[in-house]
Amino acid sequence: MDDALRAIAEPRRRDILRLVWHEERSVGDIASHFDVTRPAISQHLRVLEDAGLVTLRRDGRRSIYRARRTALHELRAYLAAFWDAELAGLKAAAERAEREKKGTYERRPRRH
Amino acid sequence: MSADLDVIERAIDIDASPETVFELLTDPAEYVKWKGRLADLDPRPGGRFHVTFKDSAVRGEYVEVVKNKRVVFTWGWEGPQAAIGPGGSTVEIDLEPRGTGTRLHLVHRGLPAAELASHTAGWDYFLPRLTDVAEGRTPPA
Repeated sequence: MDDALRAIAEPRRRDILRLVWHEERSVGDIASHFDVTRPAISQHLRVLEDAGLVTLRRDGRRSIYRARRTALHELRAYLAAFWDAELAGLKAAAERAEREKKGTYERRPRRH
Repeated sequence: MSADLDVIERAIDIDASPETVFELLTDPAEYVKWKGRLADLDPRPGGRFHVTFKDSAVRGEYVEVVKNKRVVFTWGWEGPQAAIGPGGSTVEIDLEPRGTGTRLHLVHRGLPAAELASHTAGWDYFLPRLTDVAEGRTPPA
């Protein structure tokens, strides 16, 4: 899933993903929407494919790509899990701190 | 409607007072007890929210700070390959007393996946799955 996060960190790859969101497109078609070279677009497509964000289909000599939309859902689930882990850490630290405070507070009267 | 969907929401019950939780979110010495190696925090609107980890760093700014009640900060990772750049998204945390404890509610807005989906008509596909995740179910593949 880190691969997917890295893949969509690049704005141009997000643009490519939008292009192939609803319909499959050939590399040439995708490249025609950008001011960069076709090899550069192919490179971006490879990164997206390796990250599982697009799928590739061959039609004769043409490479045709489309978005793997479930991957975005997985990405969201990943970020949600990230926060679950963060909050579990916060909860543990807060409850530890609270126990320490209470321990100090409760012991104090007995000393006097 | 899509604005409501452009988020990750989480809630957790903590057996500690809102004061304790608030300190852990805003005091640098307290913050590193649960997260990061180094925290550079200036908890006031426009103040720094910098947390450094072993091999990454979170960069943002506090947007709103209400003592023991609410903390809002922008949030993103440092570096050219960061999926969410510094200040690229917003995290809102609300603390609500619940008995002797605290209900923490977190909303993370401006996520890259949401940005992608909001530029498409993908929500008809997305919404049911999003609801599943939000409600803690495993969505269908």
